Amino acid sequence: MIESYARRRFLQFSTAALSMQGSLRAWEPSILKGEDKWVRSVCEMCSSRCAIEVRVVDQKPVWLQGNAFDARMHSSICARGLSGVSQLYDQDRLRTPLMRVGQRGENRWREASWDEALAFVASSMQRLKQNYGAQSMLFSSKTGESFDLLSSFAANYGSPNTFSHWSSCPIAIESALEQTFGERAYRDFEHADYIVNFGHNLFEGLDIPLSKAMARFAANPSKKLIVLDPRFSIMAGKADEWYPIKAGQDLAFVLSLLHVWLRDAKYDHAFVRRYCIGLDALKASLKETTPQWQERYTGIDAKTIERLADEIYRAAPRCILDWGHKATTSPAEFQRTRAILIANVLMGNVEKKGGIYFAKTPEMLNVLLQEPLFPLLQSPYPAPEVGIARIDGAGEEGSAYRFVPKKHGVLNAIADAILTQQPYAIKGWFLTRHNPLVTVADPQKMRTAMASLDLIVVNDIYMSDTAMMADVVLPESTYLERDESIHLHHGLVPSYTMRNRALMPLRGTQSLRETVRSLADALGFGDAYPWKTMQELRAYQAKGDSALLESLVKRGYVQATIPPLFLREEASVRAFCERYAHVDLMRVSEMFERRRKTPSGKIELFCAHIEEAFAGYGVPCAVDMDVQHNYPYTLISGKSAIHTNAHTQNVPYLHALMSDNPLWMHPSTAKAHGLRQNDTCYIENEIGKEKVKVFLTEGIRPDTLFLYMGFGRQTPLLPKIDRKGSSASKLLPLKTAPVCGAMITNTGVRIVRA
Amino acid sequence: MAKAYRLIFDENLCIGCQACNVACRLENDVPEGVYRLQVHVTTQGVFPHLGMHFERRSCVMCDEPPCVSVCPTGASFQSKDGLVHIHESQCITCKYCILACPYHARFINPVKNVVEKCTFCFDSRLSKALDPACVSVCTTEALRFGDVSQENSTVAMLSRKETLLFPKAHLGTKPKVCFIPARKGVKV
Repeated sequence: MIESYARRRFLQFSTAALSMQGSLRAWEPSILKGEDKWVRSVCEMCSSRCAIEVRVVDQKPVWLQGNAFDARMHSSICARGLSGVSQLYDQDRLRTPLMRVGQRGENRWREASWDEALAFVASSMQRLKQNYGAQSMLFSSKTGESFDLLSSFAANYGSPNTFSHWSSCPIAIESALEQTFGERAYRDFEHADYIVNFGHNLFEGLDIPLSKAMARFAANPSKKLIVLDPRFSIMAGKADEWYPIKAGQDLAFVLSLLHVWLRDAKYDHAFVRRYCIGLDALKASLKETTPQWQERYTGIDAKTIERLADEIYRAAPRCILDWGHKATTSPAEFQRTRAILIANVLMGNVEKKGGIYFAKTPEMLNVLLQEPLFPLLQSPYPAPEVGIARIDGAGEEGSAYRFVPKKHGVLNAIADAILTQQPYAIKGWFLTRHNPLVTVADPQKMRTAMASLDLIVVNDIYMSDTAMMADVVLPESTYLERDESIHLHHGLVPSYTMRNRALMPLRGTQSLRETVRSLADALGFGDAYPWKTMQELRAYQAKGDSALLESLVKRGYVQATIPPLFLREEASVRAFCERYAHVDLMRVSEMFERRRKTPSGKIELFCAHIEEAFAGYGVPCAVDMDVQHNYPYTLISGKSAIHTNAHTQNVPYLHALMSDNPLWMHPSTAKAHGLRQNDTCYIENEIGKEKVKVFLTEGIRPDTLFLYMGFGRQTPLLPKIDRKGSSASKLLPLKTAPVCGAMITNTGVRIVRA
Repeated sequence: MAKAYRLIFDENLCIGCQACNVACRLENDVPEGVYRLQVHVTTQGVFPHLGMHFERRSCVMCDEPPCVSVCPTGASFQSKDGLVHIHESQCITCKYCILACPYHARFINPVKNVVEKCTFCFDSRLSKALDPACVSVCTTEALRFGDVSQENSTVAMLSRKETLLFPKAHLGTKPKVCFIPARKGVKV
């Protein structure tokens, strides 16, 4: 491949970025000797995908740290990231394919060779396709490379039924962004002066670059951080003001802020007039949502709302109302998140430094700079359109889930679809590192549904709760043992990352890519993939751009050093044009004037097509905020900095730090029930009953209870974590949030003495 | 020239994520169940008037170390840079030092059956001009390490700018580990 001039320039920028990284220089000469090497890759201990480097001595990974080629990382890494080696060497990892011997879920297995296990999976899938149609197979994975791969596998097999983790996690946000802006938006925490945080616990659900920016923000005495959370989280601990808002009532709070701004005409009039649609509908909807009105919902007094509204307005546009990451607090989730986005819009912080911004994509920058500076990738995972409706109706006109992306689906709809065999026969499920018996609502019902399937295939590194229900369990290699494709990350400046393996698989495991590729061959559609090996895959994806590939193999992370560009920030646009003298100032400013990818082409305060399908949902208003349903307490749940959802509980280092998740309870609540520290009791509702251990703390509202996620497992083959702690999912109903189909993770419960 | 090491822990930046704790275990092969380093997180006050406090628990590398003078074999010693170390081969596990340490920083390594504590990762890192493992991985860069006698070092600059607190300063132990106290939240 001949290296083009443009490409050379792109890589030159990356090298410039490197020379500023002193720490990296300091590392290399002193430690690199003999068998001692560094491999740069991407972490997978959670979904944040931080850039890492792995020190490998005599082919054994011995140390992990942040990859300083990503300047935001420096050498930082979290406890989970560091525990990648603890997971790698964990004796409890799956090491050979297992096939069910006894009844489904009975926990009787025999070891099988890869050839036998895959031949069984392929012939079973072929049989289901012949008898019931390919649509009778479901496929699920969290988003990322494994999801792209599995979606492609499903589509080529002929099933539309792929499920990502979205509907159990960020779908409300993704959906609200899509409907309001027609694209994703990002937050510039680094330069903001004022942030209102709605339970976005960045100090426990860690993403190193974002968490670091937030930590610097919170520690800066000249900035202001407001946190709303029923629980005194780490984030709340760093706030200037913490409001223990009643669970699920964020929407009422935001509606009253919007009310005050519209009442007093304190918003960016010019911005709204020029770029938005639906201000009148918004005004009409917010007439009654006064600061006094919201008091009974949130427990925050009206005077505070008036003061905060004034402070935020004065800080604008260097203010952010942070919509969070996973937010599924009430059925009104779509409304909550839209209201927060609209609050940002009224403050005119869009494409302003210290506000919110849209991705500067490679395509866009190549056009702007009039040369192909940024590599464009082609997908190695083709997924042809399958002309069959999904079991949940996602993306289908007239369906309750018409606004849910077809690709992602609604996890909460699976159990009922299997149990009723509606809209058609559902017989099989292929899951990769997905554990719905812990992470999806009403696992009792899901278990019953799974028991009735003909084929369950689980690809995982551990014998998860869900794997216990499988016919075939396929042992996957961990991320340290896997090479992967190139990932393009969007943001202010595009960056590219690539997972490079630090060692060959330790014990008889293989990657999902290898598994899927051999199954595709066995099922007769191997030729859908223009590659066989990883090298071929990467070359295909990079369109033969060997310079990019070489750079990613060495560095794991590549980013061009173009100046950050905020399209509505004059100084930023000017700096950009100074750097690229041939780019016309007007041309850059005009980038923001383009038609948006929404039905109206503008930022939609009011969404006509949503209103048409879901009356009362076109514009933010007070609907569906109740999560307590006449129970005395609301159970909420969240992430810890030690564990990732239902994935890491068995990792030795992390297990040693946190092996249980007692229920947070305010002392006055405990007293009312005659409970003391470490007592055992039950929480229950119409969905389930779960045993809990009491943890007394002042850091929670007396009407609220809290559990960290991922515990209360049923994994007899992982005795360390089997039946330790409690699972909040067992009390969650399958009801979903209108429009976006999100699982709702706050629910009403009562306390019952043991 | 002798170094004047200082480790500054900024409580305002610490989020209690335990990356330092795990880094220490991995770097120094600390057995399960014992710790050279932990961060304790406590909630103080009465709902809803609360504060959250983050405390680094480790050896503070005293300039005047009580653990050295009580050691009957000379296993506990202080280097010319003022760092306190333990000669494993001379340790008879008498535990005098464990009792003498006001910071509860010492423990018996159950695998080696010798007393152990934080060394600022001296052998594996500091002696090669690398920061201690905890400092290098800290997710929010709440830990800073260096030679305070070097005017332009980060720790010297921070020391001039911030009010530093030295743990149990009244004991006259003169720790090299100090902290910048939290500016937010209720203090009890």
